[in-house]
Amino acid sequence: MTVLAAHASWIDASRREPEGPLAPLQLVAPDGSLTEHGRAYGVDATLASSLYRDMVLGRRLDSEGLALQRQGELSLWLMSWGQEAAQVGSIRALRPSDMVFPSYREHVAAMCRGITPGEIASQWRGVSHSGWRPDDRRFHIYSLVLGTQTLHAAGYATGVAMSDSDEIVAVYFGDGAASQGDVNEALNWSAAKSLPLLFFCQNNQWAISTPTSQQMGAALHQRAAGFGMTSFHVDGNDVLAVHAVTQAAADHIRSGGGPAFIEAQTYRRAGHSSSDDPGRYRTNDEVASWELRDPVTRMEALLRGLGISDGFFGEVQEQADQLATEMRAACRSLPRPDLADLFDNVYAEAHPTVTAERRQFLAHRASLEGV
Amino acid sequence: MAIHEFHLPDVGEGLTEAEIVAWHVAPGDTVAINDIIVEIETAKSVVELPCPYSGVVAALHGEVGQTLDVGTLLITVGDSASEPAPAPSAEPPAPVEAAVPESAPEAKPLVLVGTAPKEAEARKRRLSGRASAKPPVRALAKTLGVDLERLAHADDSPISREEVETAAGRHPDVDAAVAAPAPGRALDASDGDVARETRSPIKGVRRVMADAMTKSAFTAPHVTLFHTVDVTATMDLLADLKQDREWQGRRVTGLLLVAKALLLTTRRFPGINDRWDEKAQEVVRHGFVNLGVAVASPRGLLVPNIKDAHGLALSQLADALDELVDKARSGKTQPADMTGGTITITNIGALGVDAGTPLLNPGESAILAFGAVRERPWVVDGEMVIRKVTELSLSFDHRLVDGQLGAAVLTELANILSDPRRAMLYA
Amino acid sequence: MLRMTLGAALNTGLRTAMEKDDRVIVMGQDVGALGGVFRVTDGLQKTFGADRVFDTPLAESGIVGTAIGLALRGFRPVCEIQFDGFVYPAFDQIVSQLAKMRARSGGAISLPIVIRIPVGGGIGAVEHHSESNEAYFAHTAGLRVVSCSSSDDAFHMIQQAIESDDPVIFYEPKRRYWEKSDLHQEASLGLHQARVVREGSDCTVVAHGPTVATALAAADAAQEDGFSVGVVDLRSVAPLDLETLREQASTSGRVVVVHEASTFGGIGAEIAASITEACFYRLEAPVLRVGAYNLPYPPAKVEDHFLPDVDRVLDAIDRTLAY
Repeated sequence: MTVLAAHASWIDASRREPEGPLAPLQLVAPDGSLTEHGRAYGVDATLASSLYRDMVLGRRLDSEGLALQRQGELSLWLMSWGQEAAQVGSIRALRPSDMVFPSYREHVAAMCRGITPGEIASQWRGVSHSGWRPDDRRFHIYSLVLGTQTLHAAGYATGVAMSDSDEIVAVYFGDGAASQGDVNEALNWSAAKSLPLLFFCQNNQWAISTPTSQQMGAALHQRAAGFGMTSFHVDGNDVLAVHAVTQAAADHIRSGGGPAFIEAQTYRRAGHSSSDDPGRYRTNDEVASWELRDPVTRMEALLRGLGISDGFFGEVQEQADQLATEMRAACRSLPRPDLADLFDNVYAEAHPTVTAERRQFLAHRASLEGV
Repeated sequence: MAIHEFHLPDVGEGLTEAEIVAWHVAPGDTVAINDIIVEIETAKSVVELPCPYSGVVAALHGEVGQTLDVGTLLITVGDSASEPAPAPSAEPPAPVEAAVPESAPEAKPLVLVGTAPKEAEARKRRLSGRASAKPPVRALAKTLGVDLERLAHADDSPISREEVETAAGRHPDVDAAVAAPAPGRALDASDGDVARETRSPIKGVRRVMADAMTKSAFTAPHVTLFHTVDVTATMDLLADLKQDREWQGRRVTGLLLVAKALLLTTRRFPGINDRWDEKAQEVVRHGFVNLGVAVASPRGLLVPNIKDAHGLALSQLADALDELVDKARSGKTQPADMTGGTITITNIGALGVDAGTPLLNPGESAILAFGAVRERPWVVDGEMVIRKVTELSLSFDHRLVDGQLGAAVLTELANILSDPRRAMLYA
Repeated sequence: MLRMTLGAALNTGLRTAMEKDDRVIVMGQDVGALGGVFRVTDGLQKTFGADRVFDTPLAESGIVGTAIGLALRGFRPVCEIQFDGFVYPAFDQIVSQLAKMRARSGGAISLPIVIRIPVGGGIGAVEHHSESNEAYFAHTAGLRVVSCSSSDDAFHMIQQAIESDDPVIFYEPKRRYWEKSDLHQEASLGLHQARVVREGSDCTVVAHGPTVATALAAADAAQEDGFSVGVVDLRSVAPLDLETLREQASTSGRVVVVHEASTFGGIGAEIAASITEACFYRLEAPVLRVGAYNLPYPPAKVEDHFLPDVDRVLDAIDRTLAY
């Protein structure tokens, strides 16, 4: 009787180990200097300034949101602090007509698409489930069930594929959400159907208190490649690199290359939400190390290096202050909903239970008011 | 100078209190919007609170180490001279209200609709002690004023409909009009201390009826004509219908056939179905008959009407009468049922009498009463025979209806009721 | 008037709907070339092409999730979930996303999606292929839930469901797929109206989907004993046609509800509560319910003892008459 040798070399031809991560693309180093790739790619100062502005405004929107929560004006706020480059760089590389499906932390991307701070604040204040309509700014409402939007995006992309358009669809989600069944179904589905869909994963290193090392067994961009799509790995705190990679991915999709995946390495500088206490599970050292890789200070350094004047930075700060004032005012003046109105939004067509219950509610309310 | 108050918010989705860890400002300090003013520790974490106002700190309302409830005043900030007051007013910000739970959970009243535990127990005890009866029987008992508890069986088997009806002293075969239970307390021989008079308030149906009768009596000049009718043929028809297969399960009564005769008659003499419109100074001729039927219900005398009775076939009329009576008995007559009547019929025969001078239902011009059907001596072809005879009493509004019309109506009614075949003459 | 199987009626209805409106698409596992495991979508891909009739990967959550995306893009997807027991992976997409998106968006978003589900037992199937799960979806605000029982209803209701701008869970009684009955050209009822299949003055049996035939068989048997038993086909589980139920309950005073789903927590409970509240003084007996026992669906060889059959319905009728 013969026994197969456990490690016969001819088995190896049909055997594969999971691959480690690729080097993430970086054009601008944390200190603001250009990398080798950055020098080769070149810098468009106008674009860089514009992206910087959006990042500063987005950061201010986020910090104001947190302050408002601490002041009792919002019941909850999820911070996008630290992820400005990942959001701005990507969404600015898309066309305004490309439909975007966010998760629930893409306030900066939303702002870039023209959604106002008041509209963003609305659901966190508890007066609505969404402050904006998806159609006009091509930005779907937030999804709080993790990863569910990846399937919606895949469906939308299916519809796009049936038209002659070269639109693409982009969907945002995080490292934690990527473990959900729906996300993996979407990845497989898109690759199988060669859908015009860009998966943009902001790997901010943490899913509440679970680090990525406990979240997955392979790098996200490798997983995506395993599903059968072109994947990119990028320094998510380098807005120019994010922009470049998104551009490349979008071009790939538009020219019929099928779906694409971008893993953007970034960091969630605050807790998961205003209810979280990240000090319980993260070290100060780690937080400090990521502060050194901050996307906004990096760009400021780059721009100053390019000779952009103080006046520009001052003007951006003023704009940020203005946005903050607007946000505070808008948030405080958000109207409270009337439950009576909500009965109208459940079904498109008349529904006997809804009709009857609305009547009961109004009667009950009137009886309490002594009307 | 305006003073702005900042109350401790709920910073963690449902937190109720926080401990002050450290103040970052002191009274007299100038603060800008979002400057950190205090660190607080909640059940979840240590949190820095940014100031919602810019100005000068007027006062701190808690000490380091002190635990405050969410919603408590934390700091007051006065306007500084140079800066305009920011938007928020002095009252606590709205979402804090929404986020703040009742601060003293023990004091929170029971919110559940229904009964607090003690009450619920008592109710339960009462319920288990109730006599058992099916819902419709229970309703009938209520209508007839029968106390089910007195009829309860020792073995708790359900009380039957027959038992309730017997207890009410009511014969199941009685016609539509049901004797109403007397309002107020009946004098009971077993009462020890009988008062010399008892008082019951004038309200509800009784008041409505009183108002209607008064209005009717003092507006329309009433005249009543009487006619005695041999209704033997109608009673034979009644008996035949009761045997008819198609009429099984339907209530066939004298009231039904007299009503039908009245409806036919109004076709020939529409004048008794007219209305005197004093306000418009016009007489209204109706193209329809909404037939009112006087019913004594548990609430008192009601006169609901059958809409468009003129168009109903006999079977439909029977069903409509049934429904009308059922509704009245069970107290379900709607206001809409009682308006819009054009002529009324009342069965006083069910009360055991022959004739009367009924009052018009306000707004109508005629009302027909018919009495008990009795066997009486009658002359037919010169011979004395026993026939079934009843009295018709027709009251009418003499502004609209004169004696000639009134008599013609009664005559025609008599003709139909003494020979129902006459109905063939009608369209 | 045509005569065809329930499955063929669905096929014809789908075909008609797709001819009327370009935006209607059909998607699911094996619906394309195979025409569906029950052949309900047979021939549709050939007629309308692989863009409008396509096979999906084996992922129920994916089916409903992508349907949502397609609806956002302006299409009117008709999804097939291959068997009742396999709808559960899609549960979140159905109750958290599909049902709520209109409300969450303040009425801005419409999701005119139909989810077709072959339902029920009695076909000797293996596990998870004989479930009755309408109660979960009936209980979810934002969804409409319907259940056809005949070829005529299948033909008209599938079209009406597709025309609705609301999400519709569309149950098809798989044990009836191969039964033939008459189809009328014109729809006689709206999507959410119940059908009085048979008038009855002694007792009313309320059923839907596969149990309508059971109810009719019981009514026939009762008639031989001299009892007049009516049958109401609910057709719509949510919303219920309370007007028709009230009318019939008030007439007979006795109601028995029959459904394949387990009695406990089934829609029979909702019906019983609603009828009792509306018709209290007309009822001669409490509303009785006949459903499956509160057990996970058993092996095929004992399913006949598990599901409500004619005998159990007759028992219930007897019990109501005894009150």
